[in-house]
Amino acid sequence: MAERSLFSVSVVIPERSVFDGDAEMIVVPGEDGEIGVLARHVALEALLKAGSTRIHLSGGEVIELATGPGFFEVHSNRALILVDDAVDLREIDASRAIAQLEEARAELGRLESGEIEGDRWRIEQKIKHAEYQLAVAGN
Amino acid sequence: MASQQDIKRRIRSIRSTHKITKAMELVAAAKLRRAQQRIVAMRPYADRMLELITSTSQAVGNVRGLPLLESRETRTVALVPLTGDRGLAGAFNAQVLRRSFALERDLQAQGIEVRWLVGGKRGRSSLRFRHRELAKSWTGFSDQPGFGDAQAVAHGLSELYASAQVDTVLLVYNRFVTPITQTVVEQEILPLPSQVLEGFDEEDAPPPVRGEVLYEPDSETILARLIPAYLETEIFRALLESAASEHGARMSAMRNASKNAEELIDHLTLVMNRARQADITREILEVVAGADAL
Repeated sequence: MAERSLFSVSVVIPERSVFDGDAEMIVVPGEDGEIGVLARHVALEALLKAGSTRIHLSGGEVIELATGPGFFEVHSNRALILVDDAVDLREIDASRAIAQLEEARAELGRLESGEIEGDRWRIEQKIKHAEYQLAVAGN
Repeated sequence: MASQQDIKRRIRSIRSTHKITKAMELVAAAKLRRAQQRIVAMRPYADRMLELITSTSQAVGNVRGLPLLESRETRTVALVPLTGDRGLAGAFNAQVLRRSFALERDLQAQGIEVRWLVGGKRGRSSLRFRHRELAKSWTGFSDQPGFGDAQAVAHGLSELYASAQVDTVLLVYNRFVTPITQTVVEQEILPLPSQVLEGFDEEDAPPPVRGEVLYEPDSETILARLIPAYLETEIFRALLESAASEHGARMSAMRNASKNAEELIDHLTLVMNRARQADITREILEVVAGADAL
């Protein structure tokens, strides 16, 4: 396969920057389906749902992250992934994911009982994010 | 004059207080360092978020109809002081509350109604003590706020604002300047300032790339999702600043307390030595006087 050109990718969550580097290709979970981006992609802005984000590095190595809902932007050969949470699949902390799941379910429960009003989509995405991490961790 | 025993007891008591304040100082210093790192760590997210919101709103052009941007005539203001869950932090909690009450007086003098919401147990108990009705309170995270906590606060505030129960939301908190200085600031977080959409610095703003950007699903939907996310980021920043200030204030308060304890121990040790010397002298005098009498 011909050498692919690289572009810069950053994955940023509120607590820190998770990934900053060059990649050949990334695949992100867009709200209406997965979006794959190569170098010199046209400028793009998209909403992300919870799911799996894959970053293909130049050596054929792939970093796979479980990401929460957020935003995605491609602009002059730079891709930016701005999400609530991102966890490397190799570093999943099951107890943290369980805590996230319980918290999100409790929130959904309060929403359904009318105790709070809120963005249902957002809470469901949090649940999906936690469930995905647990599925990968094998729980 | 106090006996040697009494003084010894006091020294012991002060020494154990000193141990506690010293330990609290060290703990606060460690937590402060972590809190400062977290402020630095969240900056990339906040900056990128702002860039994204500015460029998207330029693409949308017409931003009317988004509830968090709608600015109304101010009849009711929500005051949201951010305090700590614990005391022993010098003026940290008191100065936020003092400023909030001053604001309340000013607003009421202008005929504006005030509603209270509060972060932190200290603020909550203090406001309850003064019989203020609290629309909502958030506690248990002032030490180490997470993004989820910021989301909860943001959510509560947006609801109040979007349902037109309040027309302005003012956040009052300690901004972290240096470990020993915190300044109280008030920040109007709702309605969102228009600079957010127009870009804070016109000259630095990237040239509009309109027409060549793909939006999925469309720019209006993205903006509608970005605005609450921006609010969460701003509140997260305020919570982190407040946490760092709290640890800084506690650290310096405990440092002063430790210093005072040391001085007190020195002084009491001196007094005790004098008392012991006086006892010895008196005993010798008694012995000598007894010998003379023979």
